[in-house]
Amino acid sequence: MTLQPTVRQALARYAPFLISLALGLGAWEIVGRQAGAAFMAPLSETLVRLWELAQSGELGRQTLSSAALFGTGLALAFVVGMPLGLLLARVRLLREALDLYIMILYATPMVALIPFILSLMGFGFAPKVLVVFLFAVFSILYNTVEGARSIKPELLEVAHSYRSSEWALWRDVIVPYTLPFTMTGLRQAIGRALVGMVAAEFFLSSTGLGQLIMTANQNFDTAAVFAAILIIVAAGLALTRIGLALEQHFTRWRH
Amino acid sequence: MTAVTVTSARPSLFSGAALPRLIAGVAILAVWELVVSAFAPDFVARPSGIARAIPPVIASAPFLRAIGLTLWSVAEGLAIAVVLGTLIGLVMGRSELGDRVLRHYINAFNAMPMIVVLPVFSLWFGYTGAARLATVVFAAIFSVIVSVSDGARAVPRDFLEVGRSFRSGRVRMLFEIVLPAATPYFLAGVRLAAGRALIGAVVAEFFTAIDGLGYFILFNSRTFHHNEAFVAVIFLAGFGVGFDVLVNVSTRRFLPWYRRDEQTE
Repeated sequence: MTLQPTVRQALARYAPFLISLALGLGAWEIVGRQAGAAFMAPLSETLVRLWELAQSGELGRQTLSSAALFGTGLALAFVVGMPLGLLLARVRLLREALDLYIMILYATPMVALIPFILSLMGFGFAPKVLVVFLFAVFSILYNTVEGARSIKPELLEVAHSYRSSEWALWRDVIVPYTLPFTMTGLRQAIGRALVGMVAAEFFLSSTGLGQLIMTANQNFDTAAVFAAILIIVAAGLALTRIGLALEQHFTRWRH
Repeated sequence: MTAVTVTSARPSLFSGAALPRLIAGVAILAVWELVVSAFAPDFVARPSGIARAIPPVIASAPFLRAIGLTLWSVAEGLAIAVVLGTLIGLVMGRSELGDRVLRHYINAFNAMPMIVVLPVFSLWFGYTGAARLATVVFAAIFSVIVSVSDGARAVPRDFLEVGRSFRSGRVRMLFEIVLPAATPYFLAGVRLAAGRALIGAVVAEFFTAIDGLGYFILFNSRTFHHNEAFVAVIFLAGFGVGFDVLVNVSTRRFLPWYRRDEQTE
């Protein structure tokens, strides 16, 4: 008796999603078939190509290479950005001296620096890591400093009046207060680092999924281009989810 | 809300702390100058060289043309993205069906590093200004959609109920109640979109080698004119920061009751 409305509810809830998904995928297939093979690949061909690339091991190899670049750059950005941000949180003079420049660098399109990095550092892993690092680090730094600026002076005053030691001040006030902001920065940094990863792979020495796309593009293998883009979109979605979950985990106490 | 705590403690950009800032700025430039002249080859950009390069570069026709081309394309693309993005965002924010139909596509595109579409766009639009325009629109539109739909969903019920009791039409309510109420979200979205649009234009120029500020940087750095290329970087940073400041200042000046610092990216 109660089952029927539940089924109907579920249907009403998911039907629009499923129908729109089917329409979207159907449109992709039809447009792909109508257009020339080099112009756009239909869904079916893209999936076949994806399977082939996965079978040959090429996809796994290039994805790993991209992941290594992304992970190294992002980890460096975190390891540098967070302590520096916390230091600026504590040392007011340093923060006032530097926050304007951090804000400027945060707003600067880092992609414009790629040609300089190319001609100074050439090809290799290090310049690409630098690109990912530069894309990511200022989000973390900027948000941490922003958080530090908003620490209520009363909190520090109370801690001081209870003769709190420097270490206790960091452990109980500064780090817990600033961490949620750092995590917002990390979430932004994940998205930016992904852009940096692809930019580095396109414009510096070609490796990873970027190389897969570039080579396929030159060979008019549009199905492979779409296959690689699918993987990047999936990775982007998963990483965004992780970023959001991390941010929510650390901001719980604010609500 | 967390936004209030952030805003209340935020000092204005140019107040106080001028001296430490000045000293830090001079120190950064001095270190840059010294390190480059001690360790790097002659063509590498350094503050003194950039300062010398500024007058001839900003007076040169190719540079002015490059700025015009890039900024025009960003303005055009941003206008398209804001109009289309606002419409789609309103539909997603106020219609449950619209949201269920579109949400997963918007999320997927928004999570995608926009730069991966360059090979496809250059295939579809050729190595032309159209590819750059398409990249700018693509880079910018999803932040507008996401922000506007968040804002449209957050509109207080009372506003809508008053509108309904005065028998306002659906479309009219959308543009005269929902959109104005979602202004802070809208502004946050546009601010984000502008930054992304600028990046979109530059990467499109790198990729397709069409004339503009990005190509100006690429060409000059390849021919070892780093100082000249860096002048263009300064302009790009200036546009990025300038737009940010413009939106912030005008929000504070003209819409002081809006406080929205929580950003979505």
